[in-house]
Amino acid sequence: MTVQTTQRRGGGYLERPAPSGLADVIEIILDKGIVIDAYVRVSLVGIELLTIDARIVIASVDTYLRFAEATNRLDLYEKGGQPLTEALGDLQESGASKKTSGAISGVKKALKPGSSDDDEERRPAKKSPSRRRQTEDA
Amino acid sequence: MPDTQELPAVGRYVYAVLPAAGVPTDPLTGIDGAPVEFVELGELAAATSVISLDRPPGRRHDLLAHSHLLESLVKSTTAVPVEFGAVLADRDSVVEDLLAPGEGYFVELIHRLEGTEQFNLRATYDEEQVLAEVVQANPLIAELRRRTRQLPEGAMHPDLVRLGEEVSAALDHKRAEDTDGLLNLVAPQVLEIRERPGAGVDRVFDVALLVERSRREELEDVLEGLAEAVHERIRLSLTGPLPPYDFAGEGQWG
Repeated sequence: MTVQTTQRRGGGYLERPAPSGLADVIEIILDKGIVIDAYVRVSLVGIELLTIDARIVIASVDTYLRFAEATNRLDLYEKGGQPLTEALGDLQESGASKKTSGAISGVKKALKPGSSDDDEERRPAKKSPSRRRQTEDA
Repeated sequence: MPDTQELPAVGRYVYAVLPAAGVPTDPLTGIDGAPVEFVELGELAAATSVISLDRPPGRRHDLLAHSHLLESLVKSTTAVPVEFGAVLADRDSVVEDLLAPGEGYFVELIHRLEGTEQFNLRATYDEEQVLAEVVQANPLIAELRRRTRQLPEGAMHPDLVRLGEEVSAALDHKRAEDTDGLLNLVAPQVLEIRERPGAGVDRVFDVALLVERSRREELEDVLEGLAEAVHERIRLSLTGPLPPYDFAGEGQWG
């Protein structure tokens, strides 16, 4: 997908792609809008085909094998840095979103990596990103 | 004789429904460079153009033309997009089959969308990060992964499918939690949130937001803060403003 990121003011963590290519446009407009019943419509060659093609593209990912493959490609190095719980805590304290602070505690829980009880032992010891074919023990 | 001779050679492509008061004064062009003509009924107008019915599809240009016209319209008025590819027989059909039966619905919808913009917000995981979380939090997944990791590339193995299923289930759970957490913070800034279809290992959510134009900067600021807070695991991407493609109703207007 062609993505031109036009960064706004500030830190620019929020990506702002400008939809430019055909794929972007298809994704934005396909199957959207007021639907006119087929019986009053005049058929236009090719339109239905296009819709079907795009649906196939969206649906055809062989999900389970894809998940397995992605997991096995993974090298278990973790990225260091601030844990999300703290990150969102900062957000709350800075008052950047006062209105929503009530919901923050829920998010803290939801965004915590992994399940809640075993966090301690696996806080990232920022491993060097040496990868792929290490040995069997990973 | 081919029976196509019976059919008319041209139809009316319909792009959008808008208030008659908002019809632009500048000339606009649509698909095939045809001039856009506005068919009116009472308070409503439909943006249309004449289209040849035996033309080759020309998909790319058609989609882009449809999209560009909608973008032009929403710069100056409230235009409700019609689904891509809708062609009616002629001007009369646009009135009788679209504007007249949907009049009440469209007037109300336009009123509701007035002063708003659509933004599409997508959240995607850092795939390595989130999969590492899944493997570490789940001993069964870790074990399956250990067992299948040495399989030659392309090999089929029951454990591989099992691994995929377990990871998929774990990600579904994580995705649901993260989606709730993030969208709870977005919800106060917007009028409405609608889910958009999608798939992929790294997908958290893909939604359309209906936003009051006057609150756009506020939304952007909140999202920027949120994106910064979660950036180690999740990327947030905001597209727009867009015409209200996802808020044009479910076709119950007839």
